[in-house]
Amino acid sequence: MKSLRRILAIAHKEVLHVLRDPRSLYLALGMPVVLLVLFGFGVSFDMDHLPVALVDEDRTASSRRFAAHVFGSGELERVDAGGVTASDAVRLFEQRRAVGVLVIPAGFGASLARGRTAAVQLLLDGVDPNTATQTLGKADAVVRAAGAMLTSPGRGLPRLPVDVRVRTWFNPAGRSALYLIPGLTAYVLALASVLLTSLTLAREWERGSMQQLFATPVGRMEIILGKLLPYLGLGTTAVLLVLTAGAWVFDVPMRGDALALTACSTLFLLGMLGQGLLVSIVAKNQMVATQMATITSMLPSMLLSGFLFPIENMPAPLQVISNVVPARYFIHALRGIMLRGNGFAEVARDLVALGLFASVVFALGVARFPRTLA
Amino acid sequence: MTEHALLVRSLGKRFGSFQAVDDVSFEVERGEIFGYLGANGAGKSTTIRMLCGLLRPSSGRAEVAGHDIAVSPDRVKASIGYMSQKFSLYLDLTVEQNLEFFGGLHGLGGKALGTRIDALLEAVDLRGQRAAVTGALPGGLRQRLALASSLVHEPRIVFLDEPTAGVDPASRRTFWALIRGLAQRGTTVFVTTHYMDEAEYCARIGLMVAGRLVALDTPAALKRDLVPGRIMAVEGPGLGAATAALRAEPGVVAVEPFGAGLHVRVEASVEGAAIVARVLASAGIEPSRLEEVEPTLEDVFLAAADAGAEAKIRAAQQAETLA
Repeated sequence: MKSLRRILAIAHKEVLHVLRDPRSLYLALGMPVVLLVLFGFGVSFDMDHLPVALVDEDRTASSRRFAAHVFGSGELERVDAGGVTASDAVRLFEQRRAVGVLVIPAGFGASLARGRTAAVQLLLDGVDPNTATQTLGKADAVVRAAGAMLTSPGRGLPRLPVDVRVRTWFNPAGRSALYLIPGLTAYVLALASVLLTSLTLAREWERGSMQQLFATPVGRMEIILGKLLPYLGLGTTAVLLVLTAGAWVFDVPMRGDALALTACSTLFLLGMLGQGLLVSIVAKNQMVATQMATITSMLPSMLLSGFLFPIENMPAPLQVISNVVPARYFIHALRGIMLRGNGFAEVARDLVALGLFASVVFALGVARFPRTLA
Repeated sequence: MTEHALLVRSLGKRFGSFQAVDDVSFEVERGEIFGYLGANGAGKSTTIRMLCGLLRPSSGRAEVAGHDIAVSPDRVKASIGYMSQKFSLYLDLTVEQNLEFFGGLHGLGGKALGTRIDALLEAVDLRGQRAAVTGALPGGLRQRLALASSLVHEPRIVFLDEPTAGVDPASRRTFWALIRGLAQRGTTVFVTTHYMDEAEYCARIGLMVAGRLVALDTPAALKRDLVPGRIMAVEGPGLGAATAALRAEPGVVAVEPFGAGLHVRVEASVEGAAIVARVLASAGIEPSRLEEVEPTLEDVFLAAADAGAEAKIRAAQQAETLA
């Protein structure tokens, strides 16, 4: 009874702090949604209308028809560069007016007329490899299609010996948003919960009020529970907010088991809150706590979790490190549940990993939480 | 056995190679105001922190309200109030919310806590500030709120660590009236201060010098024992030049700078005023004031600090000859 009163007293005080200082409320609830919308629209791996300049050295009817087919698809956008030559490509790249230059060499039309293979050249700006790769892929496809139209006019699309039809499941339109939202959810939660928890505890150390708490019969478990409860509530609210925003703004589906999603989110949040607790014990002041929280939660959650970069593509040491990044399991589970319609059975491994992380971090935090000042 | 409010035996605290508190022993009775005096770094706060269960002693033992601090720190914490040197209430909460929080920490709640808070606000005269945000209160009022929040669970002993540091004199007087009222109602008060005028309010005083308790008695007895003889207060221009000559004069025990002038301590048997006047005259100094005064605790403190320093030098010399 007394213990419960003590925990509630601390939790209540924490709520008062949060209400008194809207910044933490913004950090917990506003920032995730703002980030979600910014990232959701801004970080998109889909590209169309890639600006490509045309250098037509052939100047024949064939070359003009070929160019019309290539740019007619809308995948590549013709940059009006008015009679550029291949040597102008560097200038176009430097001015960022084009990401590629398509060169149709002299003799293109003549080769076609004689039924020989006609070569075209594509120059790419490799500074941004992702864009370059996408441009190459798209250009390759449209050039092939345009070539086919030219060699067999009148017969429409030619039949290839093997007919490959690609169907992408779960995300048929290949929209990045579907892929990003689960990652973003993990990222904003990691950031908000680790940062808020470590800040609130570090503040008590910094202001000397922790000493005042130690001079009362309140136990360290009571301090920890009282401190974390309100943030667990805040974090849960943030999850709901982010998922709702994802569903409304980006039409992210929710195909799987909502209960499994709740379980994953709760375990992930507990782990993050425990990590914030650990950070505050080590840091003991708000400055250091902010930096440590950012480095230990924000960066791994973004870079090592499979959120932005596929884990399979990472160098071996980073792949090993990513095994202890809880966001990795959370994102994996979230993608499965939301897009693939998974339930408990499929996310069991992720749940175990998240539970393990939360238990270890909490045990460490409680063990390291001092009872006395020295 | 009669139970002391505080019983301290050979208590010591060492931080690395620094002995912050060294072999300190004393008792404090119920309802007593016990003053703990010393310069910064003399070990006052360290002693308080050990007695409040915030620091583990390196040696010795202590009982607070009948509970051993090493064996049952939680019982100790339930029976004491602690007001730390640094103001550590929550500035963004209101006066009432702070009191509710500390009440909650002691397991209080509901109607009982409400009644208690009413009584406390009345006692420290903060009823009008109940809903005020703590950060907006002036220093003196904050201090009273800090006292109130250390009293919310009606502790038998309160530890006040420099409670009036940085507070204006009028507020200090109000604060001490509260402390005296507490003691009259049976609460034991353990208070550290470096204001010597405040120390006069204490029933007994312990003097800490470099981690050691060098003197312990009532203010009157301390003055009698540590500052024997009579004190001549001298003020005037150019006194510094005559200090050495005064010290060399037979019958003069000590010469200490005091306020704007000097305190010249002479043996009880000599005619102090005449001696000082003669020495000053031969140095060509016309004092603007020369009269006998009652010794203050500051004189006691200066004498004790000197004695402490001498004791340390003697100990060091002894260690050297042994080595």
